[in-house]
Amino acid sequence: MPDSFSRREFVAAAGSLGAIWLLADATERGEAVDHAAHQVTQAQPALSVLTPEQAAEVEAFASRIIPTDETPGAREAGVVYFIDRGLATWAKDQQPIFMEGLTKLSADVGAKVRGQTRLSGLTPAQQDDVLRSIEQTPFFGAMRFATLAGMFSLPSYGGNRDFAGWKLVGQESAMEFKAPFGWYDQPANRRALLGGDA
Amino acid sequence: MIPLKSRLAGQGQGRRFDTNDAVDFVVIGSGTAGGSVARELTRLGHNVVLIEQGKTYTRADFQHDELAIVLNNQYANTPPAHIQTWRKTPDAKAKPRHYLLYANAVGGSSMHYAANYWRFRPIDFNEFSLKGGVPGAAMADWPITYDELEPYYTAVEWAIGVSGRGGVDPDEGRRSRQYPLPPLDLTGPGVLLEIAAKKLGWRALPAPMAIASRPYKGREGCHNCGFCWNFPCEWGAKSGTNFTMVPEALASGRCELRTECKVRMVETDDRGRVTGVVYFDRDRREVRQRARAVFLCANGGETPRLLFMSKSSRFPDGLANSSGMVGKHLMFNGNTGAAGEFAHEVNGYKGAPVTRIVLDTYDLHDKGHYGGGGFDFRYPFPPVLSALNMPPEGPQWGSAFKQTLRRLHTRISHCWGHTSQLPVATNAVDLDPEATDSWGLPAIRVTYKEHEADLRMYQYMFDRGVDLLKAAGALRTWGEPPGDDPGVGVHLLGTCRMGNDPGESVVDKFHRAHDVPNLFICDGSSFVTSGRGQPTMTIMALAFRAAEHIGRFARRGEI
Repeated sequence: MPDSFSRREFVAAAGSLGAIWLLADATERGEAVDHAAHQVTQAQPALSVLTPEQAAEVEAFASRIIPTDETPGAREAGVVYFIDRGLATWAKDQQPIFMEGLTKLSADVGAKVRGQTRLSGLTPAQQDDVLRSIEQTPFFGAMRFATLAGMFSLPSYGGNRDFAGWKLVGQESAMEFKAPFGWYDQPANRRALLGGDA
Repeated sequence: MIPLKSRLAGQGQGRRFDTNDAVDFVVIGSGTAGGSVARELTRLGHNVVLIEQGKTYTRADFQHDELAIVLNNQYANTPPAHIQTWRKTPDAKAKPRHYLLYANAVGGSSMHYAANYWRFRPIDFNEFSLKGGVPGAAMADWPITYDELEPYYTAVEWAIGVSGRGGVDPDEGRRSRQYPLPPLDLTGPGVLLEIAAKKLGWRALPAPMAIASRPYKGREGCHNCGFCWNFPCEWGAKSGTNFTMVPEALASGRCELRTECKVRMVETDDRGRVTGVVYFDRDRREVRQRARAVFLCANGGETPRLLFMSKSSRFPDGLANSSGMVGKHLMFNGNTGAAGEFAHEVNGYKGAPVTRIVLDTYDLHDKGHYGGGGFDFRYPFPPVLSALNMPPEGPQWGSAFKQTLRRLHTRISHCWGHTSQLPVATNAVDLDPEATDSWGLPAIRVTYKEHEADLRMYQYMFDRGVDLLKAAGALRTWGEPPGDDPGVGVHLLGTCRMGNDPGESVVDKFHRAHDVPNLFICDGSSFVTSGRGQPTMTIMALAFRAAEHIGRFARRGEI
């Protein structure tokens, strides 16, 4: 990869989780990736690391990062299964930040909505209030990163179900494309923009 | 001709050689340099044992899998197997940090590079004579000129299939032959760069790319799948040495490829001549391969490391290091990046990563800078990285962020600047005094800090990149100019520089170590200066040239 800009941008954007995912052991990672790919062949996604209660919290959280509107969001894309599988395999080292973050989340919920302990029990507006209050924490950064990774990684990792993430952003999945690829490289548009230089 | 299917499946191990028989050449590293040297030496009739620390990957491994390949660096030299440390200045203690990144695989980084294949220009070889030096930088001329290297640039283009169109740019160096393949299909980012260049009075050139635009030598032409930068090519269209040089070397019947073998030292006798190499095989058993000569092509990080690990009473400061230049002058090239949002769909994720370049900034001396560089417009990363690199202003999560993702992913083009970088003596690779890797070998220690003059030049290039995006019609732009810690190096250059003076360089103009008559060193480490950001073509041309000369010397008994 002869271009360092992207990596710098990426590491900066990814925060602690991404940086550590980048540095996972090659052998272990290979096995983990195999394991993860194997898991997806199961008809019903199963949870490996998260309890059903924790999974509900993770799913509620991810659903506020990429909400469901007229198109699928993180919930429909199965991001929670991606995160669970990641925590069981290639991102095992990241379990503490998620587990501690989820424990603390209960108190964060209570601080915003008296008497409540579960993010998944709140209205979307209340959930957003809670997330805004922890927006600067490493846990939030890790959850945002993991949600985006789950939304857009190959469906074989558990998220991006039926390419819901790719469909959202307009990325077709294909092994081959034919020019013109977009608006600018259509010959008529290029000629109009470049005149005699086209 | 080797069929595509066979190239995509690897070629197995090839011929077997006995470790106790001195083979003509051991070549260490199967990347751009080593793969090419092995192929060229076998063509000249020499026997070669090609040793690679990584694995052979085959088509089954090549998927559009961003998580494994980009985010988890599936093919790279990652910890804990590979360990590095870094410090900014020589007086500091180095801390664990993975700084030098390369593909740990047959084909080296050429198996997954973006495949920009710019030739250097004449000024890259004698900039010091033409323009003088810079305080704090060890500028020097190369011992060869552009014209001496030109036949090998041409040979590389025709050997592996480089796509492009020569003669468009009056400022390019002399060219003895047209490219063998026409430019790749023009993409949205390419058209945007054409528009921008026209507005600024610059010239958008067809990008020279080591990706076959048409079927070539039994390989497929590019199918425009878009997963190019960082990804190995499922179609075999990318002209990396894993698809070109290494299979051809193996098919010669004169080469054995040994993968997952980690060389720990180049051995010498009491006359100071190389006798072979010692390596750990894939089961981590120690093996000694005898050789009449050794070609060290392990990259600008691993090559100096291996020379330091090969020290002996005769070579107390490291093999071939009487000059003290081994490991010094580490360069990566400068790299600037900015993003722009456009009104219509760019769809840069389809097609080749780069189809047009601008080189009007190649020589910035008259702008008060040293060196210079060039630009390309390219697609805004595969989907996960794209989502992580949306404009920093505005919501970063929630409904509005979802709208941003939906609108922008197909409407972004990046402008990347690729620049020279000064050789600084204190920027260096050596051995960490404490840290070791999983083989128990001393870790690479990187000392690196940008030169002030380069930082000013990067800022200039960053600003011109933003100008280009705006001239192309960007609705908004974002990005940051480079700081004094690049964070990671992927072009590993300069650490065993070539030269005519044995007191000031490690190898001579034919890549023979000044101190060791049968040791040859050729890869990014051979660079005297950095060029303008796309070194791979020049590494390969140097490898073709070195192999031809050294192969002849060997036949004449002159090594």
